[in-house]
Amino acid sequence: MELELQQLTKSFGHFTAVNHMNLTMSNGVYGLLGVNGAGKTTLMRMLCTLLRPTSGSISCNGKDIFKMDGEYRRLLGYLPQDFGFYPEFTVQDYLLYIASIKGIRPAAARKKVQELLPQVGLAKASKKKMKKLSGGMKRRAGIAQAMLNNPKILILDEPTAGLDPNERIRFRNLISELSEDRLVLLSTHIVSDIEYIANQIWLMKDGTLIQEGTAREVIASMPEKVWSCRIEHSQVSDAMRRYKISNMKSEPQGAMLRIIAEKIPYPGAVCTEPSLEDVFLYYFGEKVGEEA
Amino acid sequence: MIFYEIKKVFSKSMSKIALLVLGAALVIVSILTINNLEYIEYADGQKHVFTGIAAANKLRDAKNQWAGYLTEDVLAKVIEENNKVNSSKESQSDDFNENDKAYAEKQGFSSILDLISRAFSEYGDYDYYRADSITAQEAKGLYRQRISSLEAYLETEEKQFSDAEGDFMKKQYQALDTPFYYEYEDNWKALLQNISTFLLILALAIGFFVSGIFSDEFQLKADSIFFSSRLGRNRAVLAKIAAGFLIATGLYALFTFLYTFIVLLLLGAGGSGCPIQIDMWDSCYNLTYLQAYFLIVAGGYIGTLFSSMLAMIVSAKTHSTVIAIIVPFALLCLFPFLSRIITLPGLCSLFPDQLLELYIHLKHSVTFSIGGTIRTSVPVLLSAYLLLCAALPPALYCIYRRTEIK
Repeated sequence: MELELQQLTKSFGHFTAVNHMNLTMSNGVYGLLGVNGAGKTTLMRMLCTLLRPTSGSISCNGKDIFKMDGEYRRLLGYLPQDFGFYPEFTVQDYLLYIASIKGIRPAAARKKVQELLPQVGLAKASKKKMKKLSGGMKRRAGIAQAMLNNPKILILDEPTAGLDPNERIRFRNLISELSEDRLVLLSTHIVSDIEYIANQIWLMKDGTLIQEGTAREVIASMPEKVWSCRIEHSQVSDAMRRYKISNMKSEPQGAMLRIIAEKIPYPGAVCTEPSLEDVFLYYFGEKVGEEA
Repeated sequence: MIFYEIKKVFSKSMSKIALLVLGAALVIVSILTINNLEYIEYADGQKHVFTGIAAANKLRDAKNQWAGYLTEDVLAKVIEENNKVNSSKESQSDDFNENDKAYAEKQGFSSILDLISRAFSEYGDYDYYRADSITAQEAKGLYRQRISSLEAYLETEEKQFSDAEGDFMKKQYQALDTPFYYEYEDNWKALLQNISTFLLILALAIGFFVSGIFSDEFQLKADSIFFSSRLGRNRAVLAKIAAGFLIATGLYALFTFLYTFIVLLLLGAGGSGCPIQIDMWDSCYNLTYLQAYFLIVAGGYIGTLFSSMLAMIVSAKTHSTVIAIIVPFALLCLFPFLSRIITLPGLCSLFPDQLLELYIHLKHSVTFSIGGTIRTSVPVLLSAYLLLCAALPPALYCIYRRTEIK
């Protein structure tokens, strides 16, 4: 299974959400990391044939996915970022309905639903109405619907957004479990999710990929170093103005900072091992600042 | 797929409420229809006014004494009976209540008397007392009078038909089977006169049910999963169209049947074979009540289907259920209002709301000249909107399957 993006561009008026993107994906877990508005969702929608590119192409094993139409979507499982459901349907009805629009025969659909419900931890909630489910349960119903057709390509847009830490860990493990023998593209702005499950990480900013590779390669790509130091409380505002600070912890003796800088920022600062979060801050720091 | 699409519609709380409202409308319109019938009886010097089922039973008994073909002899006998009642002291009295007693005696043949009054009034006019001045001999010429009255009208300056239309009307009048078969038919009269109101309520309610079939995917944010599924841009769209069609057809058939069943069960089902001219004297449609009923119901169905299909197209295009719900209201309630402002009588009689008013069309004989041939409005309306209904699903399919999720 190979997905290839060639010069893929999507513009909305004067705004270019995805800009001449070239990519090739085969089996494995791909993590797409970027701040809100980076173009992740637009890219995913094009990959799911929900949006047509302004220019460029997406091919699956050499065939244009838009020409493949249903044949391509047969291979696809998609969990959108802000996905909706039919509130009065029970979980079972919902999954059976989605199975029907995926072209799965009713008998096979019932069997698959019975298989998937325990896998996503919803066996006891199968008769519960969708509107009665908690946020985490809805997400699990969402992943179940994406898995109904045993997809070769699984696209998950911000799958852990809005989940509490327990649910997030549970969901992350579930994705790992489901990722065998398929192409999984996972988009998020939660760095730890990617760090734990993705084999390949792509950093996306303003519609283009700015960095790609394994977690180690992406971390190594950062040209600056990460420093750990303790400074006086009075120096904090100055430090924030001068440096990108990936972490700050206030202590009675002063503030413990994790600073990204080319040279030693303060006397006594210790150079430490960078993490993916540091890389995220390095590449997207300004945007994070603006959002805050 | 179709099953789940239908389930989606009926699982909504608003749909359940709408079903209850529709049920209530069915009961109210049925009661109003049944109460249309009235029978006056004098017993022990007291006036008793019966309505509804009791009136139906008494009218049936009284009118069926005159059941059979309205031959010259029967028409003459009606005039004789009428004269007999008119010459009674009750009828001659200045007391209104005494007159009522005389009227009560005429209830068995009042419909036949009406026919005579209409036949001998000027074309398109109705003089309620005209039969009182007709002799038994004159009454025998009722069927001839119908044609000669039209011919006289076509000679006047006020005529509203072209020469070709006039010729067409004459042919239709001449083709009408006579003598008329007559029996108690107040039940069918009440049914046909009131069914349009119920069909309008039904069409609006059905528009409400189907309005969300396409837009709800967007409102519920279920669109991404729907369109990214294998059949989301082909068979699943067809399933939605089929669900809309089945809901419109199913609800229409069910509630129309229930309304008809209730009315005919309570008022009686006889009289279906009588010609509609007993109620609609000037009509150029040579039909029985039953045939007219089927035409009116067919018109209502096509009108319902047309407004529902348009509502679904708007729903698919705008992604808004609210806007889609407005469509049937605009088509079926705004157009009648517009037709009062716009002075284009020919055009207004082709507006979609007219499909729900076929009773009026049957009664008033609207005609059109199409390619030099004269056509009556009912078949023109039915065939034109049936064709439009057939053209809308492919358009709906194309609109929805091309949807992009931005």
